[in-house]
Amino acid sequence: MTNDDSTFGDRSERPGTRSSRRGFLATSGVAAAGALAGCTGLFGGDSGDYGAPDYDAADAAMEAMALSEFQGSGAILEGRPAPGGRSMEDLPNLSGELSIYLGGGEGGLYLQLFDVLEEVYPDFAYTSQSKPSSELALQIADEAQAGQLQADLFISIGAGSLGTVLEDGATRPLTEETVDPVPDAFVQPDRNWVGIAGRARAVPYNTEQLDEGDLPDSVMDFPDADPLQSATGWAPTYGAFQDFITAMRLQEGEDATRQWLEDMQAAGIQSYDNEFLISDAISTGELAAGFANHYYALRVLNGSPDRPLDLYFTRGDAGSLVNVSGAALLDRDENAGLADVFVRHLLSAEAQEFFATRTYAYPMLPGVQPVGDLPTIDELETPDIDLTELANTGPTTDLLTEAGVL
Amino acid sequence: MSVSDPVSRRIKRRSRGDVQTLVLALLAGSVAVAVLTPLLWVLNSARSVPLDRFFDILFRRTTLDIFLNTVVLVVAVTALSVLIGVPLAVLTAQTDLPFRRLFTVLAALPLVVPSYIGAFAFVSAFGPRGELADALAPLGVEQIPSIYGLVGSVIVLTLFTYPYVFLTTRASLLSIDGRTVEAARTLNHTRLGAFRRVTLPQLKPGIAAGALLVALYTLSDFGTPAIMQFDVFTRIIYVRTTARQVDFASIFSILLVVLTVVILLAESRIERGGETSAYVNRGTDRPGVVRLGRWRWVATLFPLAVASLALALPPAILFTWLGRSTPELAGAAVDFRWEFTWNSVTASALAAGASVLAALPLAYLSARGDGRLSSLPERASYVGYAVPGVVVGFGLLSVALNATPFLYGSLAVLVFAYVVRFLPQAVGTTRSSILQVDPQLLEAARTLGKPPLVAFRKVVLPLVMPGIVAGAALVFLTSMKELAATLLLRPFGFETLVTYIWQVQEAAAYGQAAVPALVLIGISALSMLVILGRERYDVKE
Repeated sequence: MTNDDSTFGDRSERPGTRSSRRGFLATSGVAAAGALAGCTGLFGGDSGDYGAPDYDAADAAMEAMALSEFQGSGAILEGRPAPGGRSMEDLPNLSGELSIYLGGGEGGLYLQLFDVLEEVYPDFAYTSQSKPSSELALQIADEAQAGQLQADLFISIGAGSLGTVLEDGATRPLTEETVDPVPDAFVQPDRNWVGIAGRARAVPYNTEQLDEGDLPDSVMDFPDADPLQSATGWAPTYGAFQDFITAMRLQEGEDATRQWLEDMQAAGIQSYDNEFLISDAISTGELAAGFANHYYALRVLNGSPDRPLDLYFTRGDAGSLVNVSGAALLDRDENAGLADVFVRHLLSAEAQEFFATRTYAYPMLPGVQPVGDLPTIDELETPDIDLTELANTGPTTDLLTEAGVL
Repeated sequence: MSVSDPVSRRIKRRSRGDVQTLVLALLAGSVAVAVLTPLLWVLNSARSVPLDRFFDILFRRTTLDIFLNTVVLVVAVTALSVLIGVPLAVLTAQTDLPFRRLFTVLAALPLVVPSYIGAFAFVSAFGPRGELADALAPLGVEQIPSIYGLVGSVIVLTLFTYPYVFLTTRASLLSIDGRTVEAARTLNHTRLGAFRRVTLPQLKPGIAAGALLVALYTLSDFGTPAIMQFDVFTRIIYVRTTARQVDFASIFSILLVVLTVVILLAESRIERGGETSAYVNRGTDRPGVVRLGRWRWVATLFPLAVASLALALPPAILFTWLGRSTPELAGAAVDFRWEFTWNSVTASALAAGASVLAALPLAYLSARGDGRLSSLPERASYVGYAVPGVVVGFGLLSVALNATPFLYGSLAVLVFAYVVRFLPQAVGTTRSSILQVDPQLLEAARTLGKPPLVAFRKVVLPLVMPGIVAGAALVFLTSMKELAATLLLRPFGFETLVTYIWQVQEAAAYGQAAVPALVLIGISALSMLVILGRERYDVKE
């Protein structure tokens, strides 16, 4: 999917100077946005990596994005502080033709951001191709082997696929400067990939039925928590839930995980089709708590701000796992510098504000607030897990099947 | 050249003819070899699988499941197509059904809907979060029976392929010798008895020919089972290819090709057996029209029901999407751009041009050559019929990655895949038009002193042009619709109508599929016009 024809227009005039960019950015929606069009985005490769698309009946229309706005809108966003971190204004210009492999799922939203960048930099143009992340990862590995890499940059919807291309030696390191503002947990040790937006496992709970104190610190203690008996929900077919179980397997071992799955069922947990439905059921009091990606509760609240719904994070275990969409530079001779600076733009305050307010993703910059009063990325106590190991899903589905969950 | 010496002149002409034949043979041979490349590569990939692994894959439980799924799907779709197609043919050709001409057209029309678009429409209508589920939800209906799997695949494939049976059966019916039926009636058979004892046996070859076309289509179709999440060979080959599991993909590809060849062999038998009786109208009296009496209007319910499911529902769904200004899943898919149509047209036009050029030497040799060898290249080109698109895609992807990396990711590979797949269509139409040219015409032109190439251009070419054009049109239109090979081989940043529809379908962003799906249906309709125009199906009855 290439860009609009207009971007291939007359390149003879070069208004891409600092001053005009500043003018553009000044009008961008880094100030608080007001309207209440329920702007929601689907985060993550829900449909890309995991097969079944996530259909949310409550997904409201997303307004066509005005090019001068990075920020989304809606009740949930009122009074947002300005994002902190590196502004695009202070980054080097983008110039040249960049080709991007984009992991499927929410290609449309990412492309909107890329289109803004094209708009800001008249000398910059991109071409992209979208396929499911896992499929792209294997394709990239093949292409690297044949010496036929077709793109400069790989943006994956989950860290597992980034691990695949890394193993096959198809990547090259990002510069120190680019990954510098991102917490270490979301940067590959040799800088071969970096997270650009996160989604956190969380425990949405009904604030009228539960206090934060009722919820255990560790996800492993959930089966024994009295207030949670027959009042929790999960969506075992959903890829992000399976990532959560994979993380538990890596941290606690097979046996403890199987036991936990059995105990949760004994405690009367109910299965749902997807995690939006779980979050919605909690907000109406049908359930007291559940397991879901953090942004589903935010979507519920953006539609119905008065519902008694909040998010709880467990401490340092699979229950607060943060998986990321990430970017890796592909090992080609051309465009290495451009791709690196492009990723730096994705990690700018403005782009992170875009991810945070349009997809409710977890921003990778401590200076950018996640939507909805959540702890910032550096305050979350995430489990100590190499995210690329989440690619190992086979044993997880076996385990879920054995335990009678799937 | 001196005219005085007839002997040397003859020798010269002979040798020039030999050179021509040789060049033609070389050309034809290389085309044939090229077309066989993907299949040979697949065979080679399978050969390089270690023997124990080979048998391990072959005798897995899942392999058996996929095989059974495939066979059950083919058998079910074929049987149902006969059950729908034959009665419709009888109703429209042999009874006094009201609006017969309209119903004849309506019964043939579902062929213009690419089956995966039908599948897409059906899933969005009857899927777990489709229109029907949404409509029933307020009524307290929690769940509707799932359309996914075998059931949905059978319904959709039947609805969009039964016209093959309908058309071939109808052709047989129109050529039946009415006097045999009359004779049976005079021998005190009831109408039904006469139909069973006399008409049906004469129809059998026509029915079988249509049924085999349905079976062939079902076997090679990738889009419908993929959308319906039903594990048949095509779907699994695609999944294994994208997962880079060459051993699985190659072994399954071979199994699928073997199944296809079995069906093709059956078809060629029936075609040959049928040519004498089924398709030849011997100009005898048509059997009398069966009067339906009171049932006349009731009988229209059947074609109406079929037409509304196959023809009214998908466009209705598409137009409701069109009316929706908002995508269901914000940001899940990119907006449609006309550039995708242009890409489709470009790749398909290149394929049509290349196919015609490749078909000419094959068809000419086969039509004009002497001996069995000269038709060998032409026969080789028919491999495209036996190799489903997903197998061609997998084979060429492997060739490009391993043998010709400089071609990897180029448009040439995609175009070549179309040529492999659809060359037989161009060869068939070109060959039949060459056969219609009297060779003496060329001789006559030569005696008027024209050099051979000029004679060919002035005399032969105008006569074979209709066949060439029809072949090019068929290749163009079928290439536009090809799904699996396009998905596997499209160059970077090169989206076509079908790849766009596919992505939108995966994201369930139905609203964005309406325009490209309607465009594709329009394109398919054109291809049907070309086919019907050539076959001269008689719809006037």
